[in-house]
Amino acid sequence: MNPAHLDYDVLADLAEGLLEDDQAASVNAHLESCAECRDRSADLADVSRILAEAPVPSMPPELAERIDTAIAAESMHSATVVSMEQRRGRRHWRILSAAAATIVVLGGGATVGKIALDDSDGSGSQAATPPQDRARQHSAGGAAPNAAAPSESTMVKGAYKVTRSGTEYRAGRLGGQVDRLLGKGQELRLQGSAPSGAVSGCVAGVTRGRTPALVDRARYDGRDAIVIALPGAKDGGWDVWVVGPDCTAKDPHVLEHEPA
Amino acid sequence: MTSVSMRRVDEVPDKELLARHAQGDPHAFAELVHRHRDRMWAVALRTLGDPEEAADALQDACLSAFRAAGRFRGDAAVTTWLHRIVVNACLDRIRRKSVRPATPMGDDATFDAVAPKMPDPTDAHGVSLDVRTALEQLPFEQRAALVLVDMMGYSVDDAAQVMEVPPGTIKSRCARGRARLAPLLTHHRNRRGSENVGGVEGGGMPK
Repeated sequence: MNPAHLDYDVLADLAEGLLEDDQAASVNAHLESCAECRDRSADLADVSRILAEAPVPSMPPELAERIDTAIAAESMHSATVVSMEQRRGRRHWRILSAAAATIVVLGGGATVGKIALDDSDGSGSQAATPPQDRARQHSAGGAAPNAAAPSESTMVKGAYKVTRSGTEYRAGRLGGQVDRLLGKGQELRLQGSAPSGAVSGCVAGVTRGRTPALVDRARYDGRDAIVIALPGAKDGGWDVWVVGPDCTAKDPHVLEHEPA
Repeated sequence: MTSVSMRRVDEVPDKELLARHAQGDPHAFAELVHRHRDRMWAVALRTLGDPEEAADALQDACLSAFRAAGRFRGDAAVTTWLHRIVVNACLDRIRRKSVRPATPMGDDATFDAVAPKMPDPTDAHGVSLDVRTALEQLPFEQRAALVLVDMMGYSVDDAAQVMEVPPGTIKSRCARGRARLAPLLTHHRNRRGSENVGGVEGGGMPK
């Protein structure tokens, strides 16, 4: 008989069937004659029991909300996943999760329509396209139905995409910043994603149903914002609205308005 | 895969939800996460110990799963796949943390507002906290194996699928982990007449 007591490692291996046959036989023989080692063996079984009995934590509601928000945001720009991946840090998501994000919107006329329109045919006539058609085209792309939009006629959802240009917008420079961005029209169009229900309601409210030339989830004066741009009445100008990330059709939460 | 949840017969299967998500259904993925989030959270929290890290890991995992859904091949249960992503996200957190110090946060007030509040009410027993502290003494692989097998009730084969290692590796990690925990958890046992246990864990199985 082996006079030395068995250690937890050997006993744990025995319990998992990890010992070679001859070793297992000698360990079992020792256990038969040694109460202390049987106690140790029982200690190991207790470890599993204690672990199994530990109360299962349920997810804190704040975290559940934070994750829902992150998933909703991801749904909105899933088309740009790859390019955004590198830029997105831990901090970015924390801010998003706090729903502190803001939006910038620009309005769509003939010249910018090509940029904003999902299915550009190069014509300048999309203002004449029935909004219902555009909405339908877009819902094929997976956008959520929008209960917040006031009516079908003001609902221009689907006629534009929400981009994330990464621009830091500044007061007084909005027009110029929008101008530069829209110079890169093709790129913006490719990187946009369908507006969520809340965003399309917000945009429709701000633009009064007009098609924006740009909707950009970005930052304004250091905080998250949505920038919405509409073409101004005069050539070349932009009617720019900056709204908070919590913008809705009812309460757009306008942070800034820079008319053309 | 062990399924603990009570599932209604008419509920859409996980695989179907994942397929709908891959086809562009904007609600399917949120539904899937909603369904499994408590178990995913339990795995993350227990594997990492720190609630803040666990929350970040879980969010990382949910977004990874969102993006990777199209690559799900259906040869494992969706829950296995989800938990694998959670465990990997936890491992990523640990690696990142050990490589560089914590990144400065932009807006502490903002984050505090959304950070999960701990301790959870179960700490009133003193049990889960002690178990957590004990688990923290283990290397990640052993801890993760014990979380899956002993705490979450997964079979060794399921845990092996989650961690993408052979079943024998899971057995060995569990054995090493239990051997290390045994001396740390003695105060939870009443088998040998110790007086400092009572409450929930006092009614242990007779040996």
